Amino acid sequence: MYQQFICAVLESVINKALTLSLNGNKGLSSLDQKCLVVQLSELGFPLSFIICDGKVLVTSMDEHPDCSIHTSIKTLVELKKDQQVTELIKQDKLNIVGDIKVAQQFAQLAETLDIDWQTELAKHIGDVPTFKLTQLGKKLANKLGFAARQIEADSTEWLVHEKRLVVPRSEISSFNLQVSELDIRTEALTEKFAKLNALLSDNKE
Amino acid sequence: MSAQDQDHQDNSTHFGYQTVDKTEKESKVASVFHSVAAQYDVMNDLMSFGVHRLWKRFTIDASGVRPGNKVLDLAGGTGDLTAKFSQLVGKEGQVVLADINSSMLNVGRDKLRDRGLVQNIDYVQANAQHLPFEDNTFDVITIAFGLRNVTDKDEALRSMYRVLKPGGRLLVLEFSKPEQELLTKAYDFYSFNILPKMGELVAKDGESYQYLAESIRMHPNQETLKEMMETAGFEHTTFKNLTGGIVALHKGYKF
Repeated sequence: MYQQFICAVLESVINKALTLSLNGNKGLSSLDQKCLVVQLSELGFPLSFIICDGKVLVTSMDEHPDCSIHTSIKTLVELKKDQQVTELIKQDKLNIVGDIKVAQQFAQLAETLDIDWQTELAKHIGDVPTFKLTQLGKKLANKLGFAARQIEADSTEWLVHEKRLVVPRSEISSFNLQVSELDIRTEALTEKFAKLNALLSDNKE
Repeated sequence: MSAQDQDHQDNSTHFGYQTVDKTEKESKVASVFHSVAAQYDVMNDLMSFGVHRLWKRFTIDASGVRPGNKVLDLAGGTGDLTAKFSQLVGKEGQVVLADINSSMLNVGRDKLRDRGLVQNIDYVQANAQHLPFEDNTFDVITIAFGLRNVTDKDEALRSMYRVLKPGGRLLVLEFSKPEQELLTKAYDFYSFNILPKMGELVAKDGESYQYLAESIRMHPNQETLKEMMETAGFEHTTFKNLTGGIVALHKGYKF
C-alpha cells in the first residue's frame, strides 16, 4: 500500500502548493477532467494526475489517460534543465503517448507555481522571526554551497592528481586522439606493405 | 436436529458474539450506528491510525472507475469513497451514496456538501438486501466495512449482482483474517482491550466498539467470502489482503 501512501502525500502537497501559489489554481480550469499518467522507472507503478473541480487527484490507476509519459526522475531533471524533449525521445529516455498538449499544460501549471514562502511563514511565526530566519537560511545556504564546492575541488584534486584514480576528460580526449592518429598511421603502413608485397610478387614473375 | 431447532437456526443470525433473531439484528445494528455516527470519522482515524484512508484509496485504485461511470457506494456511511468517486466520474457520471442508517447518511451528506461535492451525488437510504434500483444500473459497486453488518449477506450479494451492469464490478472492502499468528494475537489484544476503551473515551460508547470487534471475528474469512460472491454469480473473483490480512479487498465481475 506504499503506492497509495505516496499518492496521498503527493496529492496533499500539490493541492496545498496550489492553494499557496500567488497565481492560484486558475490554470486548472482548462485541464478539468484531464488525466496525465507519469510512469517513472524508479517507482514501478504509475502516477495518475487528474484535475477535478480545481483540485488535483493523484491515484495509481493508469486506465484511459489523455497523455501518458514513461521516463525516469533523472530524465525529468534533464528535461527541466535544457528543454531538450526531442533529443530525449530520440535517446529512448522519454516516451510520450497521447495528447502532448495535456502534458505541456501540466508542465506549465507546475512552472507558474509561485509561492511567497516568507509571507506564509510570517503568518505563523511573525515578521521579525521570519526575517531573521530567512537571513540565517541564506547565510547557511551560502556556507553550505561554499563547503560543497570546496569538498568537490579537494576530492577532484585527490582523485585525479594525488591518487590518480580518475582520469580527467582532457586526458581521455588526448588519448582518443592519439589512438585515432595511430589508427591512421597503421592503415597507411598496411597499405604500404600491401604495395610492397604486390611489387615483390611482380618481380618474382 | 428437530424441525423447531432447524427453523430457529434459519431465522437467527449473529450480532457480534450473540445469536439473535434475524429481524432483531437490523435494529441492533441501526442503534450501534445511530450512536457512533457523529464520531465515526474521528474514531476511524484513531482506531486504524489513519490507515483506513489508504485501504479506501486502494479500493478506488482497484475499481478502474472512469469519467461517465455510474457508481453505487453501498453502506457508504460518511462518504469517504463517494467523495473520490464523485471527482473521478466527473459531471457526466453519477455516484449514489446508499446506507441503511439515516444518521450515517445525514453525516455523510453534510460532510460532502460542506466540501462542495453536490453535482453528481444522490443519497438513498437503502437496505443492501433489497436494493431499490433497476437491474443492470451500475458500472461499479463498492461496499466498504458494511457487509459484515448486513443480516443476510448472500441475499445482499445477489441484490448487488442484480443491479450491476454486465461488465461491472463489485468491490468489497472488509475486515478479514490476519495471515500471521503473531499478528492475530496482537490484533485480538488491540480489538478487545484497547478498542472498546477508545470508544468509551472518544465516542462515549464502549459497547458499540465491543460489537465492532466481535462482528469482525464473526465475519467470513477471505476464502469463504470469495465463495459467497461466486455463489451469488460473480466471476473472476479475487481478493487482496491488506495490512497482513486485517482487511481484504474482494473483487468480482458480472458478465
